Amino acid sequence: MSEPSPIVLVIDDEVQIRRFLRTGFELNGFIVHEAGTGTEAIRSATLRPIDLVIVDLGLPDMDGADVVERIRSWSSVPIIVLSVRSSEAQKVHLLELGADDYVVKPFGMAELLARVRVALRRQMRAVSGEPTVKAGPLTIDLAARAVMLNDKRLTLTPKEYRLLQVLAQHAGNVVTHQHLLKEVWGSIHVHDTHYLRIFVRKLRQKIEPRPDSPKILVTELGVGYRLVQSGQEGDAGSWSDPAPAKSET
Amino acid sequence: MHNALKFDLLRKELHGVFMTLGLVAILTAVLFGLVWGIDLAHGSVVFLIPVVIAATRWGIVSAVVAAICGVLASAYFFYEPVYSFRIKDPQEVIDLILFIFVAVAVSQLATRLKWQLEMARQREIDLRDLYAFSRRLAVAFDVSDIHAAIEDHLASIMQRNVVLFASAREASGSGGRRAGVTVPEPVLAEVVEVASGHRDNAAGAMVTTDSGEIWLVRAVSPKSPEFGVIAINLGRESKEHSDELRIRVDAVLADATATLERLGVAHAISEARMRSQTDQLREALIGSVSHELRTPLASILGAATVLSAAPALQKEKKLTALVHDVRDEAERLNNDIQNLLDATRISSDGVKPHTEWADPADIINSAIERCRHRLEDRRLAVDLPPDLPLIYVDPVLVQQALIQIFDNGVKYSAPASQIAVRAHTTDGHMFISVTDQGAGLTTAEKTKIWDRFARGERHAATTSGSGLGLWIANAFIAANGGKVSAVSEGPALGTTVSIELPVTQATVQQLESDADE
Repeated sequence: MSEPSPIVLVIDDEVQIRRFLRTGFELNGFIVHEAGTGTEAIRSATLRPIDLVIVDLGLPDMDGADVVERIRSWSSVPIIVLSVRSSEAQKVHLLELGADDYVVKPFGMAELLARVRVALRRQMRAVSGEPTVKAGPLTIDLAARAVMLNDKRLTLTPKEYRLLQVLAQHAGNVVTHQHLLKEVWGSIHVHDTHYLRIFVRKLRQKIEPRPDSPKILVTELGVGYRLVQSGQEGDAGSWSDPAPAKSET
Repeated sequence: MHNALKFDLLRKELHGVFMTLGLVAILTAVLFGLVWGIDLAHGSVVFLIPVVIAATRWGIVSAVVAAICGVLASAYFFYEPVYSFRIKDPQEVIDLILFIFVAVAVSQLATRLKWQLEMARQREIDLRDLYAFSRRLAVAFDVSDIHAAIEDHLASIMQRNVVLFASAREASGSGGRRAGVTVPEPVLAEVVEVASGHRDNAAGAMVTTDSGEIWLVRAVSPKSPEFGVIAINLGRESKEHSDELRIRVDAVLADATATLERLGVAHAISEARMRSQTDQLREALIGSVSHELRTPLASILGAATVLSAAPALQKEKKLTALVHDVRDEAERLNNDIQNLLDATRISSDGVKPHTEWADPADIINSAIERCRHRLEDRRLAVDLPPDLPLIYVDPVLVQQALIQIFDNGVKYSAPASQIAVRAHTTDGHMFISVTDQGAGLTTAEKTKIWDRFARGERHAATTSGSGLGLWIANAFIAANGGKVSAVSEGPALGTTVSIELPVTQATVQQLESDADE
């Protein structure tokens, strides 16, 4: 990143976690602010300009979800949630509260950095109004409502385009089933996951080089879908392998 | 109450006597008519009819009254001289004496029969109660169910208010109100004494309350304190009557405890108590394991990944290798902890699937993605038909099961061997199978691999693992209404593990046709 160093606010009550995050981020050219409690974090976020927030869910003074909600009430700063509790329902809840993405503890630094870069890029695009989103061989021009695969224009049905559009607006980040269903089919269909499954299958036939092993429109089991951007793919797995996201109910 | 009972008995007796008198009168009138109409000699034997009826229906007193009235009526109406109690013919006197003898004998027999009948009926009721009681005990789910069953059984047999206290703590904590019955303070105090074992009262203690009610307090069984302590309200009884009731209580309790002991309830109760304590301990342990172990592990893993990417370490090959070891071992530890957590979750409260419509290809692909590192040095062959139907499952649980199966396949096969993943549907069922070219299964292993902590003896020395993997996979698939099976041609001939899941095809096909605009 050639721009001025992005500032990241790390909110976690574990000193050891803050320490490795600080080192990891600083080695990658970030400026790090730390907070050990929710109150401290919210104060810190209001006082200084911040480009990104990393928040742990188990804070001593308040639930991490409350921190997400409070910060989101006045700021659109990207928020990434760290959680040891990895229930899919909880992830969905956090994303609905306004978190941009989540990483399940334990995680590798590379995985977190990949998520952070996606979130920062999305924020930059939102500020600059950049109308095109690239995902591998796929280019989505949101202004022209055009989708190109290897520079060849694709014909999509209106619902297929709407689905891709919503994913592209959040490119790189996971978008929940509920959000997609609401945006594409309307709020009465938020629980009709099978609509989504069938349309995603059709869409993959058109946009994926190998539809049986999708690399562009990927599934986040139990949570939603993610449009993987160029350069993002592969980042996430660069530490041996991510711990399975297990549901603890 | 005692006087009322006596009065009740007297009224019953008098009712019998009056009915008998009525019977004799009717019979006399009929006989009188017959004697005049068809010139019958006399019919004293016919008076045995009211004697037998009275004996069977109203008891011995009514039967004797019937016999005496019969004799008097015969003497007065039918024997010469008529309309006088005198009897002329000595033969007729002998007739009457014979009648009295037969009447007394018959009434005795009939009364005894009646008594035996009642005994039999009572025993049948008791037996039925006892049977219902045993049946309730057999389906009792926990200790409180068993106690409620004992309480209800005693209440129905004694026809009195019965309150059962499981422990001294329950008695002191209840405030005296239980199941609509208020237990007076002095009785409660006695219950606490008995329940805490301060009093040796096999026969039970009588407590008279301020209002004059007598309560019997005793341990249900002197041998097994688990059954608790009962308090029975005997009401305002006289001394001798309450002693009678007390004997009945003893008998009922002896019956009940015999049943309880035969069913091993004492053992079950103490076991259930212990189990609930173990469960609590386990819950606490899960919480502490998941936090206390995984949080430092997150720091270790995170720090290791930062170190491995640090420019300062890039040049030091040996140090980098060491950091990778830290990372890999921490990751393995994390997987082991996760398996233990899953296993505890399965056995403590079962798995609650969050079902949704899911694309089986998505599940399989994400499982492969999760295992990418572990599958790296195997040749992976994936064969998924493009038209797989959607399945209604908890996709994360199915993915977890698949990861366990992949793990197992990798663990027991050689590098560069093939692992094949296939899926197909037949007769409303979807099969996802994972085939390796590894160690295979012996006949004995085929049945054992699904056990908790199952470890193949052939591999114990060479492969590490907790033996939980396939057990967890099986539980996760079972929670989704499916099953897992394993097929192997034999040792060293590879293994195919198949997941079978139900498919509800009709819904999906219909939707596929009308969902688009």
